[in-house]
Amino acid sequence: MTQYAKPIVLFLALASLGQGCRSALDRKETAQAPLLRHVGDTAFDPKLDDPNFKVCNPERAQQYYAFDGLRYEGEKPKIEAHFRNRFKNKPKKGESGWLTIRFVVNCEGQTGWFRVKGVDKLYQPKKFDASIEQQLLALTKTLNGWMVGLNDAGQAFDYYQYLTFKLEDGRLLEILP
Amino acid sequence: MKYLLLLVGCLGWAVISTAQPNCNLYKTPGNDSCYQACVLATSGFGAQGSMFSQMRFQRAIQMCPTLDYAYMEKAVPYLKRGDWAEWRPLIDKAVALNPKAHLGYRAWCRYQFLHDYEGTLDDLGRLDTLFHGADIGYGVNGDYHLNVTRGLCYKALGQKEKAIQTIEAQLARKGYSPMMFDYLHLGVLKWEMGDPDAAIECFRRSIEINDYLAEAYYYMALAYKDKGEPIAFKRNMEQAKDYYTRNRHTSDPYTHHADRIFLADIERHLK
Repeated sequence: MTQYAKPIVLFLALASLGQGCRSALDRKETAQAPLLRHVGDTAFDPKLDDPNFKVCNPERAQQYYAFDGLRYEGEKPKIEAHFRNRFKNKPKKGESGWLTIRFVVNCEGQTGWFRVKGVDKLYQPKKFDASIEQQLLALTKTLNGWMVGLNDAGQAFDYYQYLTFKLEDGRLLEILP
Repeated sequence: MKYLLLLVGCLGWAVISTAQPNCNLYKTPGNDSCYQACVLATSGFGAQGSMFSQMRFQRAIQMCPTLDYAYMEKAVPYLKRGDWAEWRPLIDKAVALNPKAHLGYRAWCRYQFLHDYEGTLDDLGRLDTLFHGADIGYGVNGDYHLNVTRGLCYKALGQKEKAIQTIEAQLARKGYSPMMFDYLHLGVLKWEMGDPDAAIECFRRSIEINDYLAEAYYYMALAYKDKGEPIAFKRNMEQAKDYYTRNRHTSDPYTHHADRIFLADIERHLK
């Protein structure tokens, strides 16, 4: 029994570590696969995207939460002030729900590949009024304080970020996350 | 002996961290497809959100359309990446199949990621009915009891008295141990309702439980300011700044906590 104890214990220990790592809701991304192989991936669209925007390493793009959350110079208050000072509320009944703009922050802190998706209060897909969508998209594009995503070794990564705008009858209520 | 300790530690970590079903529950005559689907869904291969991982869950669903765990897991990357339209039908399916397991989770996610306060309250109301007054449990990230989350929803909807009653009722519940942020939020509510003395007492309780939050000192400073005590105001606000610059504040990789403060807030008061 003694001669088998050590390998059995080591095997069980390694199996348990694997089990622990599979916790669904807190494991970090390790995006080894190229873009287009993950939920939320975006591809360059010449009709929508600035050809001068470069994703530094498409095969290793991360998500914003891999770097411990939203990282912006001046933090969230700066983002909120950007929209508070510029977004013109246009009250319009029915323009309620969540409008999300997802984009890439590249390894130099520049942004591109913006994609817009809206849902109504029942989480059904919704196309918001053009004046609301265009304003929010334009204002998102002019945010220029995104911090570069760095790992513990100081390597810079591209990452996906989103902003969700909670709207009620055309009024901007909150910005998430 | 050291190998035994290593084994015990690793098994303990596995028990704490996993939220997976016990597939042996499906090991009944005529249910092999669901057992195999469960094994596939819990196999853990593929990074979360990768096509490989999502296909694994989809295959498990095809093998066993009642495997609620697979719907929930397939939904997770959509939630984390802000695709609400894709997330919702998947989590709704999990809830429909196993409401006791997933309704509290959906309620929490609606609160944390979307600030869907009315939706969260609806889900928590349904959960109350399902649990017949028994404990409805905690938010999935372990920061809050769902009744405190309920209180925070009332606060966000402008019903601050109801928020206070809800949180205080949970704190008074037999056998309940206050979580890290309970007294912080209660203190902020008390301060907002014009009771700085009660607020300060709450912040002191918060610090006793978890002296790692700039927020507790920040709001305590504001409560002292309302009491007309400038020295205590400055002392606590400076403490808040010290903590904040050392990264001691509420934090979450996905979202911001309620009552979260930022350096700009502190510096504005110290001008």
